[in-house]
Amino acid sequence: MAVVKDTAVAAPAVRAGRLSRLLDDETRLGRLMLAPAILYIALLVGLPFFLALYFSLTDITVGSRTLHFVGLKKFHEVIHTPTFKLALKNTFIFAFVSQLLVLILAKILALALVKDFRGKWFVRLLILLPWVAPISLGSIGWLWILDSIYSVVNWVLVHWRFVREPLRLLGILDPRMPPMWLGQPELAMASIITVHVWRLLPLATVILLAGLTSIPKDIHDAAAVDGAGFWRHLFEITIPLVAPIMIVAVLFGFIFAFTDMIVIYVLTRGGPYNSTQVLASLAFFTGIDGGDLAEGAAISLFLFPLLVAAAFIFLRIARRAEVT
Amino acid sequence: MRTGKVLSRREFLKTASTVALATGVGASIIVPGRANAQRKKLRILQWNHFVPGFDEWFNNTYVKEWGEKNDTEVIVDNIGLAGLNSRAAAEVSAQKGHDLFMFLWPPPVHEDQVIDHREIYEECERRYGKAIDLAIKSTYNPKTKKFYGFSDSYVPDPINYRKDLWDDVGMFPDTWDDIRVGGRKIKQKHGNPVGIGLASEIDTNMAMRAIMYSFGSSVQDEEGNPVLKSKATLEAIKFVKALYEETMTPEVFTWDASSNNRFMLSGKGSLALNAISITRTGEKQKNPIADKIWLAKAAKGPVRRIGLEHVMDVYVIWKFAENIEGAKQFLVDYIGNFRQAFLASEFYNFPCFPQTVPDLKQLIAYDPKANPPDKYKVLEDVLDWATNVGYPGYANAAIDEVFSTWVISTMFAQAASGRLSPEEAMNQADAEVRRIFAKWKEKGKV
Repeated sequence: MAVVKDTAVAAPAVRAGRLSRLLDDETRLGRLMLAPAILYIALLVGLPFFLALYFSLTDITVGSRTLHFVGLKKFHEVIHTPTFKLALKNTFIFAFVSQLLVLILAKILALALVKDFRGKWFVRLLILLPWVAPISLGSIGWLWILDSIYSVVNWVLVHWRFVREPLRLLGILDPRMPPMWLGQPELAMASIITVHVWRLLPLATVILLAGLTSIPKDIHDAAAVDGAGFWRHLFEITIPLVAPIMIVAVLFGFIFAFTDMIVIYVLTRGGPYNSTQVLASLAFFTGIDGGDLAEGAAISLFLFPLLVAAAFIFLRIARRAEVT
Repeated sequence: MRTGKVLSRREFLKTASTVALATGVGASIIVPGRANAQRKKLRILQWNHFVPGFDEWFNNTYVKEWGEKNDTEVIVDNIGLAGLNSRAAAEVSAQKGHDLFMFLWPPPVHEDQVIDHREIYEECERRYGKAIDLAIKSTYNPKTKKFYGFSDSYVPDPINYRKDLWDDVGMFPDTWDDIRVGGRKIKQKHGNPVGIGLASEIDTNMAMRAIMYSFGSSVQDEEGNPVLKSKATLEAIKFVKALYEETMTPEVFTWDASSNNRFMLSGKGSLALNAISITRTGEKQKNPIADKIWLAKAAKGPVRRIGLEHVMDVYVIWKFAENIEGAKQFLVDYIGNFRQAFLASEFYNFPCFPQTVPDLKQLIAYDPKANPPDKYKVLEDVLDWATNVGYPGYANAAIDEVFSTWVISTMFAQAASGRLSPEEAMNQADAEVRRIFAKWKEKGKV
């Protein structure tokens, strides 16, 4: 009887001992704590991706539970349509122009913000706001700014004389017919690029800022002693040293621009007449609204091989550019 | 200087897991009812109605009364109309969701996921008389002989026009030709354009089909064969191009579903195609423009006077719904009480079982909120000039995809803007329509 009692008392003690050993084992605890992140990526990124890949090779619709393997038929069918070709072209224009602007503007902002000045924290806060705010809300704000009737931009163009008159004399503005920012193809594309740049600029700036602050000050001091001016500092010290981190920022921005559709969905829904339709929005309209899930998946995965190759190349360049 | 005890990693993890466990277990101890709910539940999802008073009546009065009578807890979730398709797709994918799901257009693409709603129609017809043809054509698949939805109501889509401006040019928007000529005169004289959407949105979808049908054109024939490419379609496209160039501005390319409401209520527009939400909003806001906006029947084209419904309420009951019987009962009872719904919607939702609102004509002939009080009388013969998406056939999965991927809206917009010639726009859209029809025919749904 006493033995039984001893065993019963000992069992929790043994368990507590095991737990203590686990908590003290850096390797096992490390793996345990990484597990949620790995599980998250596997379930919420990996699984949907492979599911989309599988769907694109079948004839599944949004309202069916049965599917048949059809190979690359969906890819073959959709790439010949004019809407797909236009969306593909728009995707590249949208991604390249927006990233070029993000890169230039982020660099300028980061260089400005690395200097010390009064109210710097407040300026940093303002710059970060577009990234912190939910993008759907931000886009709805822009929707109102660019509205066909109540656009505040058009109000300024029409009602502020010192703005209106020079533009009118230059033949750029007809006050009776102010620009329809989301209704004319070129203006609509410019509008979605502007909003996308507004949204991505804070992150790119913060990344570049981190790169700039990590450059040892004595390198710049030594260059200054040697008589280097602003441009030599920029092209011979700053850019080469922040290049690895800049490439990561560009890679992130490109993938985001190629795969995101929130700004387009809220502002133009691909219009006017598909002139801002990109592959991500076309995939949504075809797969979810139109019901052809397989074709939607095929459209969304079309650029995947290209993006993987681009990511591989960018990361290799970034690694080679690293200064150790 | 910190004097408190420093928490070791081990202690921290132990404490955190204990708190987490206690929180999880504690919730079920404190709220035991959650685990053992005995009362039946009915979950309904529908849109945020354009007439806010309707949701107030439906969510807070009607469903509560019905729930008490039927010992059921009714939960209503309202979402924006743009989110309906995504939400439905998510529920189908999860095989879990609401017992009743309301679409604002026919959803034949979900046919395999829903019960056959025939029984509900039969019961309602037995109790309340025959359903209108518009409801049947929007919820029945003649190929599979299945009712993939149940329609309680539809929303008329009359012409909303500024009476003062149209009187000033001595015209009335009775035909499409009148709209073109009168719209041009008003724009020239007063600067007020016509506003008929040419964008990727539901109002454009309806308006462009109304023009097509009145010109004798359609996407499919009665048997469900694609027939978009025709002389009549070409004429309709040429007409819309001329209408746009003479009477409108590029803002119609930017529109969403509520843009024409703002366009008319801002005082800018001379004419739009919309439900009565424009005038109802104006009346509520006491906007003086509302008194100047009058309604007219769908315009007459070269072939016929015809329009579409503005939206079509279609409830579906998923096969995986947890309370299928409750959902069926709810629909049958709801139809029996539709007069209340008609009044709560302020004449927005018209009944698919007309006998449930026997005094409809008298009600809309005199509305004290309207100025003049007989403003809505024009809707009394709406069924003579309103038809379904998919006319002259049924709304089927191919029609749904053509509708939801904006093929027709884009066709008209491309020609109106001059980006493509009318022939090119028609040929491009026809190829897409044929491709979509071929897909669904292969699946045996069309």
